[in-house]
Amino acid sequence: MSTKFDVIIIGSGPAGVSAAFPLLEAGLNVLMIDGGKVPDMAPPEQDFLSARRDDFEQWKWMIGQDFCAIHMRSAVSPKFRVPSLAFTFDGFEQGNNIKGKNFVTIGSLAAGGLSNAWGCGVARFSSAELAEFPSEASSDMERSYEVVSRRIGISGKIDDDMSDYFKLDAYAQPPIPMDPLHASLATRYATQRTKLRAQGFRMGRSRVAALSEDVGSRKACNLSGNCLWGCRRRSLYSAADDLLKLHRYENFSRLAGFLVDGLTRRDGSWNIEGQGTDGTRRAIVAKTLLLAAGTLATTRLVLSALKYEEAVPVQSSPMAVFALWLPRFLATQRVTGFGLGQLSFAVTLAKATAFGSTFSTTGLPVSEFARHLPWRRRYGIDILSSLLGSCLAGNVFLPGNLTAGEARLQKDGALMVSGAYRGSVMPLMKEAADKLRRAYRSLGAFLLPGSFTIGAPGGDIHYAGTLPMRNQPAIGEISPVGEVLGLEGVYVVDGACLPILPEKSHTLTIMANADRIGRKIAVLQRRRAG
Amino acid sequence: MRIAVTGATGYIGTYLIGLARTHNHYITAVSRRRPHSRPMDWIPWEMSAKTVALPPGTDVVVHLAAETTGSRDRNEETEVLAAEVLVAAARKVRAKFIFVSSQTARPHAPTLYGRIKWRIEEQVLAAGGWVVRPGLVYGASARGVFGTLVDIVGRVPILPAFLPAPQVQPIHVHDLAEGLLRIVEGEEASCRTYVLAGSQPVSFTRFLHEIARSRLRCHRMFLPIPASLFLGCSRVLDVLSLRRWGIERVQSLFDLSKMETVSDLNRLGLVLRPLNSGLHVSGSARKRRMLQEGLALLTYVLKTKPENAALRRYVRMIEQLRGGETLNLPNLLLRYPALLSLLGDSTWDNEAAKAEFAWRMDAATLLGEATPAGSVRFLGLGRQHGLFSRGQVLVKAATCELMWRSLSAVGVPLIRKMLARAKAAL
Repeated sequence: MSTKFDVIIIGSGPAGVSAAFPLLEAGLNVLMIDGGKVPDMAPPEQDFLSARRDDFEQWKWMIGQDFCAIHMRSAVSPKFRVPSLAFTFDGFEQGNNIKGKNFVTIGSLAAGGLSNAWGCGVARFSSAELAEFPSEASSDMERSYEVVSRRIGISGKIDDDMSDYFKLDAYAQPPIPMDPLHASLATRYATQRTKLRAQGFRMGRSRVAALSEDVGSRKACNLSGNCLWGCRRRSLYSAADDLLKLHRYENFSRLAGFLVDGLTRRDGSWNIEGQGTDGTRRAIVAKTLLLAAGTLATTRLVLSALKYEEAVPVQSSPMAVFALWLPRFLATQRVTGFGLGQLSFAVTLAKATAFGSTFSTTGLPVSEFARHLPWRRRYGIDILSSLLGSCLAGNVFLPGNLTAGEARLQKDGALMVSGAYRGSVMPLMKEAADKLRRAYRSLGAFLLPGSFTIGAPGGDIHYAGTLPMRNQPAIGEISPVGEVLGLEGVYVVDGACLPILPEKSHTLTIMANADRIGRKIAVLQRRRAG
Repeated sequence: MRIAVTGATGYIGTYLIGLARTHNHYITAVSRRRPHSRPMDWIPWEMSAKTVALPPGTDVVVHLAAETTGSRDRNEETEVLAAEVLVAAARKVRAKFIFVSSQTARPHAPTLYGRIKWRIEEQVLAAGGWVVRPGLVYGASARGVFGTLVDIVGRVPILPAFLPAPQVQPIHVHDLAEGLLRIVEGEEASCRTYVLAGSQPVSFTRFLHEIARSRLRCHRMFLPIPASLFLGCSRVLDVLSLRRWGIERVQSLFDLSKMETVSDLNRLGLVLRPLNSGLHVSGSARKRRMLQEGLALLTYVLKTKPENAALRRYVRMIEQLRGGETLNLPNLLLRYPALLSLLGDSTWDNEAAKAEFAWRMDAATLLGEATPAGSVRFLGLGRQHGLFSRGQVLVKAATCELMWRSLSAVGVPLIRKMLARAKAAL
């Protein structure tokens, strides 16, 4: 393939599509290359509870015809056990030659990337956090946050104690209605907020990339409870939705099912080498190349093009999960509702801030809880079937620099990712658990003993900062416009180039930064052409 | 391929045709009666017929038909002539000819059956056909000699253990059908004789014992009887013309010499199932154990009998993800699934067994949950929701948990012994 394209983007996830829009609008010819995996099963037709009650074939979407849910028993998150999401994660490590050592390494070869299976959490980085970006970058982020937020559609706009934390209300739709358990927490919080804020705990509606109002062909959430299993209404944002929009541009082309495995410099251009799904190898020539393959895959491509064998840092947010019990709701019936974050909190700890959200347990398989309950299974199920309806699940994240992770290119070309939590993580987690226990108790909810579980390093799947942007980049670092030092014309637009990974959801920032870099490149290209 | 089969309604014929059709072969039945099991082409044919016209384009003729009624007016020549007619008909349409003979075929076999088979073999080989000598055919439906034996074992509480015991080389009828089909499909140019049977002979007494244990699931006593006595008696029956009891073919068991089958089995790439597997009605003991295990685990999880589809799913899952291996749980636990609560962390003597049990319990939990019955059990859909009833459930569950934990703690040595014994039994 010749250089008839001005820009080639590798990856069709949130970063790739966000960088593509400004380039296309500037009239540049863009080729997007991705793994091209697509879902092979349709989402459930009924709402979650009706389907559970009536559908004799429910095992097909709960377990999968190839028993995916059982096969993936030891995977870190319930998401990996969902048959309709299997395509999202399928073949990533092998295809991209990535290995994890005491570190969970997840990525995607799917059209739309990991956003096919994300929790839809969105947030803006604070000005203090953006101050870690090169000065040129941080000043341009404001506009990009707005463009991206409006494009993907986010909800949760309400004046509450988390408004300042998310800073997205200017572009957001109203919140999706809460279930009775969360509503009760929110009501109680309103009466206790002064006291709780003094303790360092604040709570408010989650801001999520899920629609409460129709946008184009995507419909508002109807509380079907199928968030995990697949949303027929496409209320939850996936970059696959943006891919459809990109296809409307005449100057957009896409090569799906092409797995890039290396970049080589030839005659002032880049040869993008890889192979198609049919196994045929080929090379595509590019002058300007944007890497949006996901932090780990992008890191491997850059390090191998640089022949850089030193370790680079990997940031990843230490994560824990917990369960809350609201005894007042012991006798309530199960109702379907929004399955992703409904309320979010920020807890000020001694040396960090912890962030997290709480979720309804209804859309999750009870088996997910039963297997962790140290009871005889039969009676564990008895307990859970009575108790779980009055319980919520929660997660909590700490800043990414608390994971001492590193990625290193090996002699065989594989990227080995390893890491461990820093020593401060355990005390911080304990502090977070104590503060949460205390805060939720005043809201009428009990943090279930033994439920606070700290995940394995990398298990959050928030990877970032391997090739950070710097004002004055060194080898293995990125310029403020995203260009890799030493690889002229190669830009990094995904999580790899974030200089900081705070505890909050980082996807929106990756997208905004990709948009920003896309704009810069559009200007540079036009200047070069003109 | 177009295959003509004589004896299509017989024991072996039925299974051969069933298998051949799954391989997309086109079957013509050549038999006295029209096969009713499935629609297929049929050429009416009596053994005494002087001619038979096979459809043009027939690729292979498999000759399975034999005179088994033992009627008095049986003429030694009828079967031999019938084979001659068939061989000629096959030659006319240039079809490969395969004759299924018997382990007893010998020129001077003591039974007429063996002598007839020998004569036909000679004829077929001379005409460039193939001969297959199967061992004792058994399994699936109780027909043929196997049917007679199952019938006897089912009726008679005390069975003879002949001394010396005849040695038999069994082959499951499905395995034989598979072998025959491989010969049918084979590209082999020159004719030969195949011997298809288990490579290691088993004593006839053991075979009867396995029929009782695995097929009929009953206990039978064995009374040692000198073989000579039986043969003497059967000769008397012979004289009294009571052949129709099928005694003649049982008699022929005493006249078997060991067949070397390994090279022929290898040549066809045929792996025979073990005897205890084959004697189960399902044709596989393993499958039955998987079903039992699935039933126990799913019943334990759901507190009620699972739907059959969920049970089949469990078996398919074990086959796909665990290579069909079962846990070998004690029968007592399989029969009374509530007792599975006895198994706790301390009852397993090794980590691997403990982990495997946890894996299967998790799998059964998920399989049970993903059913409409599971939505009642796991989500409480459509159940009472009063505070009192919820409280009651919680208290009861906690009490049961405590009780089983104590029982399990007290009974650890006993439970371990039980698990070890169940494991050793296999």
